[in-house]
Formats: sequence, C-alpha cells, structure tokens
Amino acid sequence: MAWTFNRPLYSLSSEDQNKEAQHVWEHESLGGIAENNNPLPRPVIGLLILTYFTAMALTFPLYGQRPSAAIYADYVSLMNSTMVQEVMNDKSITHDQANSRAMAMIEDSLQHFDSPYTFQRAQHPIDLDQLRVIAPQIVELQHAGVDLEEYTVVGPTVAKANFFNLQPDGTVVAKQPWWDKGYTIAVWWFIIFCAAVIITVKRLPHFSWRPDHTIAH
Amino acid sequence: MLKYLFAKEDDIPQGTTALFFAVSSIAWFIIGTGLGSFNAAKLAFPDWYHGLYALQFGHMRQVHVHAVIFGWIAMAFAASMMYITPALGNTKLWSEKLGVWNCLLYNIGLCLALALLWTGITSGREYSDHIWPIDLYIAFVMVVPWSLNVWMTIVNRRTQGIYTSNWFFAGCMFMTIIVFLVGNLPEWFHLTGLNEAYMTWWFAHNILGLLITPVAAAITYYIVPKITGNPLYSHRVGHLHFWSIVVFYSTPAAHHLMSSPLPEWLKSFASVEGVLILVPAVAYVCNILLTMQGKWSLFVSNIEIKFTITGVLLAIPLNMQGGFQQTRAINWYIHGTGWIVAHAHLALLGFSTFAEAAAVYYGMQVLLRRKLYSASLANFHFWMLLIGFSLYWTSMTIAGLIQGAAKIYEVPYVDVVIAEHPYMIVRWLGGTMVFFGNIIWLYNMVMTARAGVVIPAGRQPVEIAYTR
Repeated sequence: MAWTFNRPLYSLSSEDQNKEAQHVWEHESLGGIAENNNPLPRPVIGLLILTYFTAMALTFPLYGQRPSAAIYADYVSLMNSTMVQEVMNDKSITHDQANSRAMAMIEDSLQHFDSPYTFQRAQHPIDLDQLRVIAPQIVELQHAGVDLEEYTVVGPTVAKANFFNLQPDGTVVAKQPWWDKGYTIAVWWFIIFCAAVIITVKRLPHFSWRPDHTIAH
Repeated sequence: MLKYLFAKEDDIPQGTTALFFAVSSIAWFIIGTGLGSFNAAKLAFPDWYHGLYALQFGHMRQVHVHAVIFGWIAMAFAASMMYITPALGNTKLWSEKLGVWNCLLYNIGLCLALALLWTGITSGREYSDHIWPIDLYIAFVMVVPWSLNVWMTIVNRRTQGIYTSNWFFAGCMFMTIIVFLVGNLPEWFHLTGLNEAYMTWWFAHNILGLLITPVAAAITYYIVPKITGNPLYSHRVGHLHFWSIVVFYSTPAAHHLMSSPLPEWLKSFASVEGVLILVPAVAYVCNILLTMQGKWSLFVSNIEIKFTITGVLLAIPLNMQGGFQQTRAINWYIHGTGWIVAHAHLALLGFSTFAEAAAVYYGMQVLLRRKLYSASLANFHFWMLLIGFSLYWTSMTIAGLIQGAAKIYEVPYVDVVIAEHPYMIVRWLGGTMVFFGNIIWLYNMVMTARAGVVIPAGRQPVEIAYTR
C-alpha cells in the first residue's frame, strides 16, 4: 500500500504497483467481462461542473421560499388607509371590482417607493382577500414590536419562520438568510467527495494506459 | 424446490437459487401489476366494485406497493445477484442450500406480510408499512441470508479483482440492511412527529437510492458488456458512479419534506445533494452508453439489450426529474400530486424493471441452458411494457400538473377529480397492458424451460438463433 507523490495528478501508485495492477487487469477474466481504463469525456466533465453550480444556485433560499411577513407590511398599511378603505367599502360596485381597484391603488402607491422587497413581492404576489386574512396578524405583530422578517406567511397564517441562525451571543435569529450552514456543509461534503474520488482513481494506472483484452479473452 | 431443501450442498445444481428467485419474481410481478391494475381501476371507475372491505383502495395500495418492491424488484435483484456474483468471481454461489431456503422463506414471509397489510394491520408509515415483527423477519430471514450469500461468494471468488457490479451488490446489500433497521426505528421506539416523518422518509428515500437504483445499474454493468462483448467503457468512471451514489444518494432525505417544519439548513443541504444525484446518473449513463459503441444494432436485434438500454435511457428523465423536482422552487408545486406517483413509477417500472427484466431473461436462458422460446413473445412483452409504462407515466405526469395548478389556485377538489378522470382511465389502461404483458412473459419463460432449444456448452444464448 505504498504511496508516491512525485506526480500526484498522474498516479499516486509506484511504477511497480501500476505494473502489477496492469498485469492483473489484463490477465484475469471477470466472468468473461473486461474493463477499460478510459477517463470521463471532457464534455461530461463540463456537465458535472455545471451540475454542481446549478445545484448550489438553484437551491438558494431566495427561490421558492415562503414569503416573509415583512414584504406585506406596506400592503397592510396602504390597505388600512382611508383612500383604499373607501374603495373597498364602495357598495356601488361588486366585491371583485372593489378588490381589483383597491389592489391596483396599493400596487400603484408601492411603485413610488424603493423597497428591499420588490423582488420578493414579485415572487409572492398576493390578492386582497388573502391580504384581509393576514392583515390583522401582521398589525398585531407590529404592535408587539417584533421583526416581521422573522415571520413567514403560510397560507392564512403568519407564523414564526423556521430558520435557526445561531448568533455569537447565543441568540437565534429566524430571518431568511441568503446562505445557511446547510450550504456550508454541502460545499465541504462536495470537496471531500471530490478529494476521495480523485485519490481513489489516481491509485489506478494512468488513463493513458489502455489494457490489452486479447490476453485473457 | 422442496427436494433441494434437505439435499446435500453438492447435490444441488448450480444456479438453482437464481432460478427459483427468477421464477418467483415473475410470478410476483404478475401479482403486483395485477393488484396495481385493480387499484387503478378503482381510481378510474370508483363505483365498479364495493365488495370486500379488504379489497378497497386504502388496503390494496400498500399491498400493491410491497408486492412489486419486495416481490418483483427485490426478488429479481436476488435472482440476478445469485448468478451474476459467482459468474464475475469465476466461482460458484457460496451456498445453494442457503439460497433455496432463503427463497422459500422469502416467499412465505412476503405472503404473510401482504396478508397482514390486506387485513389492515400496518404501522401506518408509507413504504415502511409493516409491523415490527414483520420488519425483523424481513431483515433477518429474507435479507441477511441473501446478503450473506452475496458477500461470501465475493470473499471466496477466484479472481483478484472485483468487477464493478459486485462492488455495487456487496455495498448495496450492506447499506440496505442498515437503512432497513434504522429506518424502521419509529416503529420500534414509537417515535412521533417530525422525528417519525424524517426517519420514515430517510428509509423510503434510501431504499430507492441505495438499493433499487444502484443494483439495477449494477445489473446493466454486467448485461451490456456480457452480451455486446465490449469491455466496460471505464473502470474509473465506475468508481465515480459508486462513490457518488454513496455520498449523494444517502443524504437528501429531507428533500421529501420540503414543506415540513424541519430546520431550513437541513433542507438546504438535502436540496443541494438532491441535485447532485445527477453526478452518479451522468457517470452511469455515460459509462453504459459508451460501452455500447459499435454494437448499437443489438438495441434492435437483441431482447436483453433492448430492455437494458431502454432502462438506461429511462434513467435520464428519471434523474432529471429527481434532481430538480425536490428543489424548493419546484417542490411547492408538484408535492403531493400525481407527478410524484409518475416519478416513482419511472424509477420502479421504468428504469429498474427494464434492467431487471433483461437480467431475468438472460439469466434464465443461461441457467436453463435453453434459448428463449419465442422472440416474438418477448418483443410483445417489451412493447406492452414500454407502451403501458409510457401511458402510465405521461398520464400521471399531466394529472400531477393539473393537481399542482389546482392546489396553488385553490380550485375545488371535486373539479380536480373531474379534470383528472380521463388521465385516470389512461393510467388504468397502461397499467393493465403491463399486467397482460407479464402473463405473456411467464408463458414464454415456462415454454423456454420446456421447449427452448438447448444451448451447447461454452456458447452464449446470444450466439444461438431463435427458432420462433
């Protein structure tokens, strides 16, 4: 089990070990089957690298995550404004018409202000009936003085978010992070996997060596 | 079978165990798909049967699932391992007698397990539905003796190297025992809530990821080089495939519970690993398809290669779906819909079944030393399976997308049922085609044993011409 590190990218085995492996490779018939020693084709290596970056990018919490209650706080304030309430309570139009007009007013107003939640609002659109359901809960949380970013909207319920970002002082912040320790573990897991597989295959004879299958078959 | 139970080891012909497992697997495939067809009929035509309580959908679903997983899938794996493992080690099976007893007790245990499910005695956990005495029976009477035979055959091999298929067989049996015993802990320790949910899906995910998918792949690593005569494209890519299965398939159980209150970091980790399942998939498909170089005509002319390569090609959409459907962005839409049912059938009835059918076709011809009775019937079986599966898969995928849209837009449930009805009928039609195809298969194999052309010593089935 000697190792050589003279040319680690070529082989981690000594010449004698490689010769012995080549001899076994060519002289035994595994039930009439043989194996070649080809490397992965380069386009396939490219595909695997692409897969890794896709895996990291596609799973970020931002995408497809439950909406934070904070992104609807401005909606609730505007919904409770006199101007919007008048439209919502206008008996001369139907409920649906009142809803769509009121929502149009809210969204029009929101466009006049910069907000860190613009992207997330586009990801998680809401209608006025849903807003009516969650509004009292958001107002209650605002009165309690909590950080709305630590709460998520799950259907009709505004609930404490399911994030556990442990702070240096021991407190836990439940805000949705752009990165969490799941990703850190995933990165290390992948690095260790790559290292282990590279070490395993570098113990084999270099891929430039092509076994002669006419010897045992 | 009975005459070999008390025979001396040396008096039992080599391959007996594999043959018994193979015949059992075909019989269970017919039973399992028959039950599936019955269940699909209940969904397509809910009013057509109101008889026995035990035959209602709530009972029959579990019976169908376990009949195909433990009956067809696992027994076809056992059959394949019992002849491929010794062949690759240039040796004989460690103990045919153990194997024969194993096969008998496996069938008895499965009948008992399904009877209990039928009567409603269940743990209530999806995929780990059996009660704990049955779990222990499965682990120590059905799986451990099977594993022991595989491991000891590899230990006693007469080659220095171990071929890729045998790494997979040995490793997957070891991992399966661990997964089975740990995955059923909720039953033994009465775990509840999130712990129960996580363990249940850790079990379900890993039975698929560490047994069904990799063993099916290992079978194709044997069948394709053996029949084409080509060397496996790459031993080193086999390493990449094996270790990436171990590393990336064993970890993403939480991606089955993306909407649950599990810690988000665990879901993040599981979701990244879930996409990285594409690493073994790419390595595997690349290795097999490149092994086919220069022999693609066999995809048309040879029934075993036709089944195998169809299975390998089905592994591509299987892993593309599997990799991406578990990400948060997609999972919220398709979770809990027929899409998942379609995906599960793509894994079990698509990729895995096609690979195993090839192994059973090939193995029975080799062990019986008889050429397949009828190529026409085998081709009929292939097309019934492929068309039937395709109808099932596409109809359930479409039904799943409808359910997903209805879930998001809160469409009344009864409207969803009405919208899905045509797809339920197509699902039943597809499943029934698979069932009838399997009956033809059993007939073909029985006739092969009785009237197949004898294969001379030293020749391969592929070298002998069909007579029908």
